[in-house]
Order: sequence, then structure tokens, then C-alpha cells
Amino acid sequence: MAKFALGSEPVVGSLALSKKRDYRVTNRLQEGKRPLYAVVFNFIDSRYFNVFATVGGNRVTVYQCLEGGVIAVLQSYIDEDKDESFYTVSWACNIDGTPFIVAGGINGLIRVIDAGSEKIHKSFVGHGDSVNEIRTQPLKPSLVVSASKDESVRLWNVHTGICILIFSGAGGHRNEVLSVDFHPSDIYRIASCGMDNTVKIWSMKEFWTYVEKSFTWTDLPSKFPTKYVQFPVFIASVHSNYVDCNRWLGDFILSKSVDNEIVLWEPKMKDQSPGEGSVDILQKYPVPECDIWFIKFSCDFHYNAAAIGNREGKIFVWELQSSPPVLIAKLSHAQSKSPIRQTAVSFDGSIILSCCEDGTIWRWDAVATS
Amino acid sequence: MCRQDSRVRMSAEEEIAAEESLSIYCKPVELYNILQRRAIRNPSFLQRCLRYKIEAKHKRRIQMMISLPGTANEGLQTQNLFPLCIFLARLVSEVAVVEYSAVYRFSRACIFTNPTGVEGSTQIQANIILPEINKLALEAKSGSLAILLVSWAGAENSLLGTNLSKDPLDATPFPSNGRGYCLWGKIPLESLYVSWENSPNFSLGQRAEIMSTVSMHSCFLKLSCLNEEKCIAIQLPYNPETVSTSQQVQVTISAEEIGAKEKSPYNSYICSDVPSSSLSHIIRLRAGNVIFNYRYYNNKLQRTEVTEDFSCPFCLVKCASFKGLRFHLSSSHDLFNFEFWVTEEYQAVNVSVKTDTWRSEVVADGVDPKQQTFFFCTKPLKRRRPKSLVQNAKHVHPLALESDLPSGACELLDKADDAHSSKGDKARFSGVSSATPQSYADGDCIQSIPGNNLAPTTMLQFAKTRKLSIERSDPRNCALLRKRQFFHSHRAQPMALEQVLADRDSEDEVDDDVADFEDRRMLDDFVDVTKDEKLMMHMWNSFVRKQRVLADGHIPWACEAFSRLHGPDLVCNPSLVWCWRLFMIKLWNHGLLDARTMNNCNVILEQCQDSYPKS
Repeated sequence: MAKFALGSEPVVGSLALSKKRDYRVTNRLQEGKRPLYAVVFNFIDSRYFNVFATVGGNRVTVYQCLEGGVIAVLQSYIDEDKDESFYTVSWACNIDGTPFIVAGGINGLIRVIDAGSEKIHKSFVGHGDSVNEIRTQPLKPSLVVSASKDESVRLWNVHTGICILIFSGAGGHRNEVLSVDFHPSDIYRIASCGMDNTVKIWSMKEFWTYVEKSFTWTDLPSKFPTKYVQFPVFIASVHSNYVDCNRWLGDFILSKSVDNEIVLWEPKMKDQSPGEGSVDILQKYPVPECDIWFIKFSCDFHYNAAAIGNREGKIFVWELQSSPPVLIAKLSHAQSKSPIRQTAVSFDGSIILSCCEDGTIWRWDAVATS
Repeated sequence: MCRQDSRVRMSAEEEIAAEESLSIYCKPVELYNILQRRAIRNPSFLQRCLRYKIEAKHKRRIQMMISLPGTANEGLQTQNLFPLCIFLARLVSEVAVVEYSAVYRFSRACIFTNPTGVEGSTQIQANIILPEINKLALEAKSGSLAILLVSWAGAENSLLGTNLSKDPLDATPFPSNGRGYCLWGKIPLESLYVSWENSPNFSLGQRAEIMSTVSMHSCFLKLSCLNEEKCIAIQLPYNPETVSTSQQVQVTISAEEIGAKEKSPYNSYICSDVPSSSLSHIIRLRAGNVIFNYRYYNNKLQRTEVTEDFSCPFCLVKCASFKGLRFHLSSSHDLFNFEFWVTEEYQAVNVSVKTDTWRSEVVADGVDPKQQTFFFCTKPLKRRRPKSLVQNAKHVHPLALESDLPSGACELLDKADDAHSSKGDKARFSGVSSATPQSYADGDCIQSIPGNNLAPTTMLQFAKTRKLSIERSDPRNCALLRKRQFFHSHRAQPMALEQVLADRDSEDEVDDDVADFEDRRMLDDFVDVTKDEKLMMHMWNSFVRKQRVLADGHIPWACEAFSRLHGPDLVCNPSLVWCWRLFMIKLWNHGLLDARTMNNCNVILEQCQDSYPKS
């Protein structure tokens, strides 16, 4: 745990509602009996900003949010393996812009579905255990990164199907990796966190030639000289328990553990000595009844707001970039009682989706305040 | 060679069925042939024992018989000589006791007791085994071996012990106190040897008879045990007058070399014209002949075969005796049941196949044993198995048990018992009688035999080349490699088939790019090292890793090679070249680098320096 010098204590947001924005339930969908672990809006392609995907069990479903709270099912994919349980899904695309859905789960197999042709584009084999999170590089949406129970993070090129880099080894995670995120502007940088209670920041600057090579690789993908990145550039011990979600907010990092809060902190690296550094905790966003692991938060495209569900089925929407943090909204419904594993905030933050352990999808629409 | 016997006149179908059932012998016999070929170089313990027995039996040696033909000489005198002892004795060269003129050592004595019967019928003989003639030559030339004849009869009879044991090894028939006067005579072995050698027939194995007259002299004889060996000490009397009782004894010595060649009991018969009808009878009488009865077709039919020299019909191994054969069969050929059976007339073995306990050793048709993984099966296989074997056997020509007799000539025969009483005038013999043709012995024939799946050639080829490429490798391996997905060990990426079958495996190679990167990063952590020093360290570390400089002894080479490789770069940067020189001095300090090599390195660097401004 980071120690705070006098006068640099983190700013803790107040749970008092600001009533900046009001959300109302507009739809509730029972997708199935099995828990839904992930829901994500497509931020890759501006034509499809209202399209989102969910995963639960061996099923990947694509929906469209229409006017008036309507949710239309576009596509549904069922994995051939009945025992597959997808934990995560992300949107990506081919270099020609074809939208891809990348999903991974308990089998450790990453399925890349071509949403244009509705076929499996590729299946990535490599992870030795469950895939806990997949994220797409927004600057190069053919690159995806996956966090796995096998204590490694892998960088893939969905276009060529190449495993470019493996972030693991001597300096790697010592337990399941639960979450991973690309830096929004520094294309070389990723942050990962997991059950070893640490957040690790990795740089692939020295390996960028391999990333570039992966786009032009024409030989067999398995012949690609996959490299190991063994040492992260920064290791932070911000939490004292599993760190199940982390996101970059500029050069800062938002991360959460099971302590009923999201923490915003700044990694302070020393240029001379990589791997070392200190952590400056800036702000805290309290989330009551959020003390179980594998609850992830989500942000809108511009990272203005973050939405997070809790164990009791309530959603807290925080304004991220104000200090002190402002609680935009607290969404609750009498029938929403089961834990919310993941939320999705639409491009502009006007729609918030939540997927629950009981297999339901809830749609909340912002009520226009006059 | 076999004889088929069938009393029952069978229909054609039945005959086919019978033939089929007979062919169940083929597979086990084939198997045993293979096993036998393997066992040639490394025979089993039992086989070694039996071989020893055979060898011992065939050891060349001379059997000598000494007899005193009672009629041949003056009866009374000879009579007086009894009891007479015959020794094969060796003269002890160093005479321990001075008063004795000669001391002989012996191990056994033959005693001729007084023949009380009619003289003419008394034919007494002593059998002595001598080593073969060549070995005997040495002994004979040394002159120390002699045959001694000793008689107490002419001397004081009172001294003669009454305990005349029949055991020739027992020395008790001698005077009770072990000393006394007696008559003695000697036949030096040398003279016998010379006469044998000169005899033309002796070396051909024929009996050689020598008549010899031995003069007996009186002497004082002492029997003693010297160093646990029995000795005779002979003291000649001082006054030769007392030697009045000198007698002449005529002895017949017949000798024969035995074991020189394997004497077939036939030989005598072959020469003489024996009527062919009695031949089978003679054959049966031969000691080493064993009759094998192969039962088949639910024990209704049998075929008979006779082997010589107690040899096994399956693997042709000679077993020295019927007992040896019994052990051999039950220990080496347990796929068959054996009933052993000995009468005064003959020795026979009834053989049947243990169909119920057939194991995986015998492979079914259409199954390539190479494709089969080895498995252990304790329980008898399914019923199907023998059936398929029978089917298999259809196109395995029953080479092993094929009868060469026309079926009409086949004799009727009751099930088992009179198989050999036989009236078997047609039993014929080849040199080696065996159920299995000799051609099985060599590998080439294996190929040509249909249904034999144990073709060794392809396998051997694979073993020879030891190459794992698509063309060369065993098709089964290849198929297995194709069947499943393989993964790279480090990256866990699926391997393409091409990579799986390639002979290159780079998985454990060090990734030099990454290693260089890690090294540079590690060096970056040093704060008290200059940039040039870091660069120098990095160059050296990288060089050492790539060139696998592991031992102290590699260092001199490494320094020269490093100077040559990096010389042009080093000389551009004077501080860098000095880093390198300091490093070499450090190595020299530690005794890893000798002055001469350091000088060589500096010469190289100077050469680089000289060429640098020009280029």
C-alpha cells in the first residue's frame, strides 16, 4: 500500500448524488439462465456505436440499441463446445475495417468472429488457461491483448492471427491476470493487473519491430518469432487484494480491488531505473457493496464517466475527471438484485448497460434534463 | 520329415478341415523359429547346460583295456599272481625318501582277484581312460607315466589284507600296514604310445591291441598317502639273488579312441545290408531318436516325426538326453502341450497346441505387428482369436508339417498308441529331421512366406537411417504425428505439420535479440559505470553468449575472436578500445589469458587502427 505524505491524501468522492444526469430503465432482457460476464459497446467503428456484444456461457450475442429503449438482436454465436464459458469480449477490426468480435473464456481459446460474414475468422491457441479479459488497441484496432489465468498477457494480431508478444516471465505476474488495458495515446504501453495484487505497466517499445512485422507476415503464424517480454517497466502495489479491473485515464490508472472503491493513481516512474517507482494515489470513487471480485467498470469513449455495478445489482456512475469526484447517478431497480459483473457505457454516456449474474441485460437511458 | 497317419477315411471337406486344423502349428512354429534365431548368440541357461553335456560326451579320449588272458600264459604262474593290482601311476620325480628307488603316485587301482573258475573263461580286464592322443604324447614323452602291475601273491600272503573291496578306488586290499614284499612289473606308457602312434588304424578310431609280456620282480613295497595322494614306494632288494621269483606275465592291452567322431549307431548297420523292413525298428532302437506325435483335428489325427540326437523338432536344438529334451520343450515351447512317454523300446512325445492360451505373440491376419503397440494380456483372448488364426493359416502354406507322402501311402493308425509300432516301413530320414524347413532360418525367406507379417526389412532400414523425415520415417510415426496437434514449447503456439515433421527444433535456442535487450537493460541499472564501459560489457556479454564461451580454456580464443570481430568498431572509439584492453588485463590478472594471446589481440587491434584511417 502506498503511503501518503501530509497534504497529499487522496480525494475521496462523496456518495451524495449530484443529480447531474438521471437514468431510467428502458429495457430488461433475459438472455438465458447462465450468468453474463461481459457487455461492451463498439467504439471501433463509428457506424456501429450503438451496437454492443454480450457473452455468457458458450454464447456471444450482438445487439443494437434502437430508439425508445429497444434492443434488437443482430447476431448470436454459440460455441461448439458446450462447456465453454466466455468471460470477456471485445470489438476489433481487420485492417480493411471489417468488424471483429473477439471473445475468450474458460477454455483459453480466443475466438475471433468476423461479424461481417458471421463466421469464425480465427481461433487463437496459446493461453494455457482461462482468458479473463481481452482489450483492443484503439489506435490499431487489429491488435488485441488478452489477460489469462496462465499468468501471462499476450498481444495478438487479429488480422494475421499471430501471437506477437508474451508478457510474462521473470518480472511477470505471479497469479492470474484479471485485467489488461492499452494506454490511450502511448501505443507501446499496456497495464495489467491480477490476483497477485499488483498492477504492472509494460512497454513494448523495444519489441515494436515485431509488432510491425506481424502485419506483413505471410508465412505460417506459428513460425512467427514470438517474443517474451519478461520485465514490466513499472510494478505498483496499490491494492492489498485481487485487482480485477484497471483502465488508463490519460497517464493515470484507474484500478479496483474488492475494497468498495475505484482508485485513481499516478505511476511515477524513474527514468534511470525501470521497474522501480512510486505511486501517487489521487482520487477514490467509493462503490458501496462492491466487495466481490470480478466486477468490472466501464467508461464512455471520452472517459468522462465510469459506470460500475455492485453485488446488489445497483450501478454507480462517477464523473471521472472532476476533483473531487462527482457521483453522476446511482441506478437501482427493485428487480435488479443479482450481482452486476460488467457495465457498458455508450459513446456519449447516454446509455448504460449492465449484465448480471442471473443472465439479464438492463438498459438505462439518460433522461434529458431540460 | 513327417508321416501322416490317418485311419479314418475322410471326405474331402473333412480333409480340408483337418488340414486347416493342422495349420495351427504353423504360427507357433514360425514364432519359435524367430525366437531360436534370436537365441543363437545368447542361448538360455538350459541350452548352455545341455550343450556342455553334449560336448562332454564328445570329448576325445582313449579308452584302454588291460586284460590278462588266462589261457595265454603258463597257467599256474599266472594263477599265483592273483590278486593283482593294476595302477596307472605317475613317477614322482623328487623322491622324498632315500631308501626307496621309485615313488609312484596314483589315483585308482584295479584289482584282479583270484579267478577260481575255469581258467579259459577268466577274462579280466581293467578299464582306464586316457586323454586324447595328442595330449598323451606329452605325457608319454616325459616318461613318468607307467602302468604298474603289483602282485602280493608271490610274497608273504599273510600280509595281505582280507578286506578286498570291489571298489577299485579303495586302497584296502593292500597289506594292512601298507607295506610288504611283493612282485611288481611296469609297462611304460611311452611304449604303448609309440605302438599306438605307429598303428595305422588307431587314429581312424579302430581298436588297437597290443600283447605285452611284463616281467615281475620282487621288491619291498610301501603304500602311503602323501599329501592326500596315494603313493607307492618301491624298494628294490639289495641282494639281487632274492629276486628269484621273477615271473613273466602276459597282458593284452587294447585301446580305442572314443568321442573322436560322433559315432552314429547306424554306422554299423549302414555297412551291412539291413533289410529296409527292419530299419524302422533299428531307428527306434537308436538312443537319441525321439518320436514326436503331433495331434490335430481335435486329436483325431496325428502326424509323426522322429528326431535324432534328442533334438527339438521346433528349434533343432540338441538336448543331450531325453530328460534334457523334456526340460527344453516345457520351458521353451509353452505354446504346446507335451506328453512324455518312455518305454523300453522308444521315447515319444505327444504334442498338441494349447489353443486356449494363445496370446498376442501370435498375430492375427491383416494385423501388422509393427502397427500394434505392445500390450499385456493376462486373460485368454476372445473366442474369435483362434478362428481368425485358422483363417489366417489358410493361405499360410503349412510348410512345416507338409507330408511328402501320397495320401494313399498314409498308413491307417489308431489314435495314439501304436504310432510307432507302426509297421512304419515308410518312415524316412533326412540328415536333420525336423518339423520346420531349414529355409526359415534365414531372413530372406521370411519375406517370401505369405502371411508372415513380421517382415524385418523395412524396420531395419529405419533403424539404420535414423532420419525423421517424411519419406524415411516409419509411416506409423508419421501418421501419429499427423493425427494430433503439436505446440511450440515456449510460445504454446500450434505447430504446422511442416514444422512438426521438420528436423529442426529451435525451441530451446536462446533468443539473442531478447537476451541482448535484457542484458542492456541490466547494465542500465549500473550507476557507477560509464557509458563506454556499459557498451563494452554488453558487447562482451553478447559475444560470449552467442559463441558459447563457457570454460576458462575458451577465453584465449574468445579474446582473439572478439578483437577480430569488434576491432574495427573499437578503434573508432579510443575510450572503448581502452575498456577492452583493461578487460584483457583483468583476465590476465585472473590467469585466464596468457601474455602471448594478449599480444596477439593487441596486434589485431593495431592492424585495425592502421587500416581505419585509410578506409
